[in-house]
Amino acid sequence: MKAPVDLQDDVAEVLVSEDQIQAKVRELGARISTDYAGRTLTLVSVLKGSLPFMADLMRSISVPVRIDLMEVSSYGGSSTESSGLVRILKDLSASIADEHVLLVEDIIDTGLTLNYLVRYLRGKSPASLRICTLLDKPARRLVEIPVDYTGFTIDDRFVVGYGLDFGEFYRNLRYVGVLRPEVYSTPAPEPGPVAE
Amino acid sequence: MDQRDDAPDAPRLTDGGPAFAHVSEAEFARILDYYQVAWAYEPHTFPILWNLSGDVLESFSPDFFLPELDLYVELTTLRQKLVRKKNRKLRRLRELYPELRIKLFYARDFRALMLKYGRLELAEELSGTAGHVTPLRSAASMLAGPFGAERLAVEALAETTRAAAALELAPIVVVTGHHRRRRRGAARAAAAEEAQANA
Repeated sequence: MKAPVDLQDDVAEVLVSEDQIQAKVRELGARISTDYAGRTLTLVSVLKGSLPFMADLMRSISVPVRIDLMEVSSYGGSSTESSGLVRILKDLSASIADEHVLLVEDIIDTGLTLNYLVRYLRGKSPASLRICTLLDKPARRLVEIPVDYTGFTIDDRFVVGYGLDFGEFYRNLRYVGVLRPEVYSTPAPEPGPVAE
Repeated sequence: MDQRDDAPDAPRLTDGGPAFAHVSEAEFARILDYYQVAWAYEPHTFPILWNLSGDVLESFSPDFFLPELDLYVELTTLRQKLVRKKNRKLRRLRELYPELRIKLFYARDFRALMLKYGRLELAEELSGTAGHVTPLRSAASMLAGPFGAERLAVEALAETTRAAAALELAPIVVVTGHHRRRRRGAARAAAAEEAQANA
């Protein structure tokens, strides 16, 4: 995919503003701090989309936290064709056995990636495992997984920004916006990993 | 990096899988395989209409059953006229079997899914009836002649192979006696729909 000329021009509508995001992150951070009071928490961020959310959220949490990063392949990505199965591209760097783990996601729609990750992380025997997502798109859900902390529930629209990409671009927008349909309609972009 | 040894096991693969009625179904199965979600293709048929003698007049077979999630999924990438018919059947199914969990995927949902995975070109090819392995317009005429159902099944098999080749998908076609019987039923239903549409 060619790099966009102007990121802002490709956005039809700001769905969640920077101020709304920051307010929600502070609110989630406060809730998480209360819920995990007296405990140490391991935040596991799912690359690449959740990176900005993770960076802001961890600074809004007052209890001691460790952080770790994971990346899994996405269906349709160029690196996925050989095996035909989802793969862990970046694994945890430390054991989470007996740790309280909070999985930090940018968006949950079908739940397929999350379902895989939850099964994988449960196999690591954490003391507890909860899920936090900035965005929830329930209209597209296939796998129902209880989400403990949700920032915003959104309609079924193609969103970019604040970590969310289209063709690896738009992640650096400071808000969540709806991409103009003409951006992704023609010509078709080269297949590439799209974070869930 | 290779698949991790301690990653969840793949419950099921499409290799040697069923003959799908639509290439969108084959693509959906690949997605489920990819994320290691077990599935079965049209494993259950639910009667939804009977006559006074108790004979089943109409039934519904959701496309997929995901046993781990106890969820049925129906893909509807058809023309709007046929979507309405399917919606009616689905409403009837929900009335009669309220305990069933079923998710309906419309063309727009499937298109959004393909966009998410960077496969918009596939979504556009699959939209409407282009991905159908059984051309609806010819179904009635093919059924009319001798061995019509068998001819239709052979044609459907050939169409599936052509569609898969066009999309550079690995062929996923194994027609068993069960599938042939099921396809025959589907062909009759398609012919009936066609006749109704033409009336």
